[in-house]
Amino acid sequence: MLGRSWKFTANAIGVSTIALVAAGALGSAAAADDILRIGAPLALTGGLADEGKKQEAVWQLWLDKVNDAGGIEVGGKTMQVEFVQYDYQTDGKRAGQLAEKLITDDEVDVLMAPFGSGHTKIVAAVAERYQVPLLACVASSVSVYDQGFKYLFGTLAPNTGMTESMTAYFKEQMPELEKVAVYGRDDVFPKAMATALANSASAAGLEVVYDQLYSVGTMDHSAAVSAIKAAEPDWVYMTGYTQDLILGRKQMEDLGVTAPIVTMVTGPAYREFTEGLGDLAEGVTSSTWWHHATAYTDAIGPWTSTAAFYADFVEAFGIDPDYVHGSCAAAADVLVHAVQQAGSTDSQAVRDALAETEVLTFYGPIDFGENGMNQGRDMPIIQVQDEEIKVLYPAAIAGAQMKLVD
Amino acid sequence: MPRRALALIGLAAWIGLLAATPWIADNYTVRVAITIAMFSAMALSWNFIGGFTGYPSFSTAAFFGIGCYVGALAQRNGVPMVLAWTLATVSVALFAAALGAIILRLKGHYFAIGSIAVVEVVRLIVSSWGSVTGGGDGLNVPLLQGSPDWVAAKVLYVMLAIMLAAFAATVLVDRGRLGFGLRCINQNEDAADMVGIDTTRFKIAAYALSALFCGTVGAVYASWVGYIDPTDSFSILLTVKVPVMALLGGAGTVFGPVVGAGVFVLLEEFFWANFLEWNRAILGGIIVFLIFFLPGGILRLDYRRLLRRTLRQRETGQKSPEAAE
Repeated sequence: MLGRSWKFTANAIGVSTIALVAAGALGSAAAADDILRIGAPLALTGGLADEGKKQEAVWQLWLDKVNDAGGIEVGGKTMQVEFVQYDYQTDGKRAGQLAEKLITDDEVDVLMAPFGSGHTKIVAAVAERYQVPLLACVASSVSVYDQGFKYLFGTLAPNTGMTESMTAYFKEQMPELEKVAVYGRDDVFPKAMATALANSASAAGLEVVYDQLYSVGTMDHSAAVSAIKAAEPDWVYMTGYTQDLILGRKQMEDLGVTAPIVTMVTGPAYREFTEGLGDLAEGVTSSTWWHHATAYTDAIGPWTSTAAFYADFVEAFGIDPDYVHGSCAAAADVLVHAVQQAGSTDSQAVRDALAETEVLTFYGPIDFGENGMNQGRDMPIIQVQDEEIKVLYPAAIAGAQMKLVD
Repeated sequence: MPRRALALIGLAAWIGLLAATPWIADNYTVRVAITIAMFSAMALSWNFIGGFTGYPSFSTAAFFGIGCYVGALAQRNGVPMVLAWTLATVSVALFAAALGAIILRLKGHYFAIGSIAVVEVVRLIVSSWGSVTGGGDGLNVPLLQGSPDWVAAKVLYVMLAIMLAAFAATVLVDRGRLGFGLRCINQNEDAADMVGIDTTRFKIAAYALSALFCGTVGAVYASWVGYIDPTDSFSILLTVKVPVMALLGGAGTVFGPVVGAGVFVLLEEFFWANFLEWNRAILGGIIVFLIFFLPGGILRLDYRRLLRRTLRQRETGQKSPEAAE
């Protein structure tokens, strides 16, 4: 008779032991006064691993640079900087959980948001609750910033501004441009871009012959591509993440879609896109928030010019940096600047200093607006030409003439 | 002492430990406790259809996700929070009852596939119906007001209450006519039908019960995290995790799902905190091991025999190890 009860007691003991072990293993570290601790939940595995690893890499480069200089000067004394990172496995629930762990357990002073607008929203809710400043370097959808959060700041400019200048530029380059097909991923950022482009195109007098969204995880675009082919557009505009775009471009080729302009946002902004597509990437255009061809000088932070950042980056990794690298390193610069202005790591003071930020970084000017987002500016249009990324627009940094896809 | 009373004491101690976390540990631990309560409630729910009735249902994520969305939408339209949670619970139960009337005609593998398809279909509908659900943009839910400690404690107690309600329902079903009927269906559905059990109605009841608490959990989860999107709310991983938890503890038992959910969440935390690179592989290995060697779940382990064997081995070990068995 005692059998079952005994069993249950043993279960209870076993379970509590695991609980204790788990609690002990999580550990805790006390925060020292003269250390700036930056917490970052990152997607180092799972669907967004490529992007998460970029954040990790560029912050390591930044941190080495800062530590080589002996730390940062705050209020007359030198402060060390530390990054505490965890992998949230591209799982939204875990991103929120880790943000909470970083704040309560690792006692970080500020947080960096992970890649993408959706996961930034989840982390932002936690940061807001704990009143810890959060810098988002890879979230550009206005819907992330319009919730009245006071502790959230983003270094990317609103993405909708990109579509107007792009439409105007293409009309100028190809006056006979008439019909555009828009095909976007139903996800925060790609959806916003697709919607914005359809609006900008209509406003500019173009005919939107196809305008559809595909759901996250779509593995076959052939039905949509066939419909696009039938609509005979002059310009195909597709949004999504790198894997979606590679598949989309291949299926366009398979089904024989021939449009003089093919734009994939933000495909060519990533090296993986051109590597994955090879010749098929030729002529694909895109927008990006930043390109290393920009030439800002007299910037704050460890890199005083875009060229200095580019040189260090290429030396360390042997590849060109993209906007994720630029924006995230700049976010760290802005953060340090705010701590210096505040004179301490006090979260309220740092938040206020961030809200008043108006500085120039190697990545460009950063001036957070009312909603915490960096103010809009001219964003580059790029094109793949001979396996290289060339800047077409704005004219100040343009390095090539636009070519039509043949 | 009756065995069930002792088990109940164990459960009460476990719940007491979880409930005490806001006072004895930091908010991260409280979050783990919330996760345990949340998954316990869902594993207990799954037990009605998967454990008692023996229908391998994979629609947990659909119920959870609909709960998230109904709760979030209601709250965004000015419905008070608790009412929104209730609304989500009722809608999910009705949805499951209506759906059950259709897909419970399938059996075995066919039912498993049908139920997993429900998750995908609902996700696609929510994702495409942008004007109402926000589509891929997701939905922002009004944040719970108050200090982080207070919010964490509040969510924990709500989740624990749902878990207790699910447990109470399990005990009632286990002892009542419904549980008896469901077990008959599990053993032989045709025979059960023949002896006068209204199998269709019983199965629908079990399916609706398996949805009910998932709906509440979803709505509370949405209020807690403040942002939901289709990918996270209708995750296939969730739909697989919950049955694994119930199986791990012991499907069809009263305490099994609670034990399974607790052990699973703690193991997941432990491996994840210590073996960042390998945690999923290790966890997968453990699941395979448990399914192979403990098909009945942890609760079916005969600890007394194990202990006796170890003791005997220790006694005789020095003389001749072969004499152990």
